[in-house]
Amino acid sequence: MEPAAAPRSPGAGDLVCARGRNRKAVLCQRCGSRVLLPGAATFARRELFLPSMKKKTALLASNSPDGDMLQDHWLVDDMFSFENIGFTKDVGNVKFLICADCEIGPIGWHCLDDKKSFYIALDRVSHE
Amino acid sequence: MAKTYDYLFKLLLIGDSGVGKTCLLFRFSEDAFNTTFISTIGIDFKIRTIELDGKKIKLQIWDTAGQERFRTITTAYYRGAMGIMLVYDITNEKSFDNIKNWIRNIEEHASSDVERMILGNKCDMNEKRQVSKEKGEKLAIDYGIKFLETSAKSSINVEEAFFTLARDIMTKLNRKMNDNSSPGAGGPVKITENRSKKSSFFRCTLL
Repeated sequence: MEPAAAPRSPGAGDLVCARGRNRKAVLCQRCGSRVLLPGAATFARRELFLPSMKKKTALLASNSPDGDMLQDHWLVDDMFSFENIGFTKDVGNVKFLICADCEIGPIGWHCLDDKKSFYIALDRVSHE
Repeated sequence: MAKTYDYLFKLLLIGDSGVGKTCLLFRFSEDAFNTTFISTIGIDFKIRTIELDGKKIKLQIWDTAGQERFRTITTAYYRGAMGIMLVYDITNEKSFDNIKNWIRNIEEHASSDVERMILGNKCDMNEKRQVSKEKGEKLAIDYGIKFLETSAKSSINVEEAFFTLARDIMTKLNRKMNDNSSPGAGGPVKITENRSKKSSFFRCTLL
């Protein structure tokens, strides 16, 4: 993690405050459900693969599911920092995070080996 | 970061397979968008934040994840649970009859002071109804438990059910706190914070 790194997502620079936190609330892109309050998370850079959010693509069946390698994330160290969030069942040692209301996702990633890291991908949410 | 909430409640959904627990609890909004990927892996639990009487409450809501098929719901699943929704399907008499068995299961395995609530789900499907609302109410009264008919599909009473259960847990906690704080013991005693404006269905008579 490089806290001081500049985000690569388009326009992401405005989203991070001077203290490295999210300046705006983090919402579901589809239904607007509130995922994080402003200031609740820190910006973190890490390469994480998230399967596609598009319907009926992809899948588990094929060896290489559709998806994106994503760099820019909001990081929290306690799952109860989230306002609303869903956790999938385990896929290996990973749980994916989804919108608690409309269940679109994955919007984020959590590894069971690190109980103190929960990532939400900037590209998979909206900010307000 | 410092904790930004006042209470954290673990809630469970219990009931026969197919009564709609997953929809009910897992969705306050009907408008779900499950990708193949998400529905294949399945959802484990959700965290929701609600506000009651100015208190911020985090709900962690668990589904039984199909364990109910094998009647293997035991102490591990109930551990730490503060509230349980007992769910049946109003179009399926068997699921209603089984509520009694679920209550027995809870009495065996869950903490004795867990808050419970009975929900008759799928109340949007009146034309297929097998269990009258009166029957549901009667059962709930027999056990001294609150009751609501809900429809996850039409979003009827779903939020109300969760708010009601959360409120009952909070009331019980506050009562315990007051009971435990003997006068002169020095700890802060919380008195009558609430005779509030929002008390439209605030049922707490003590405090």
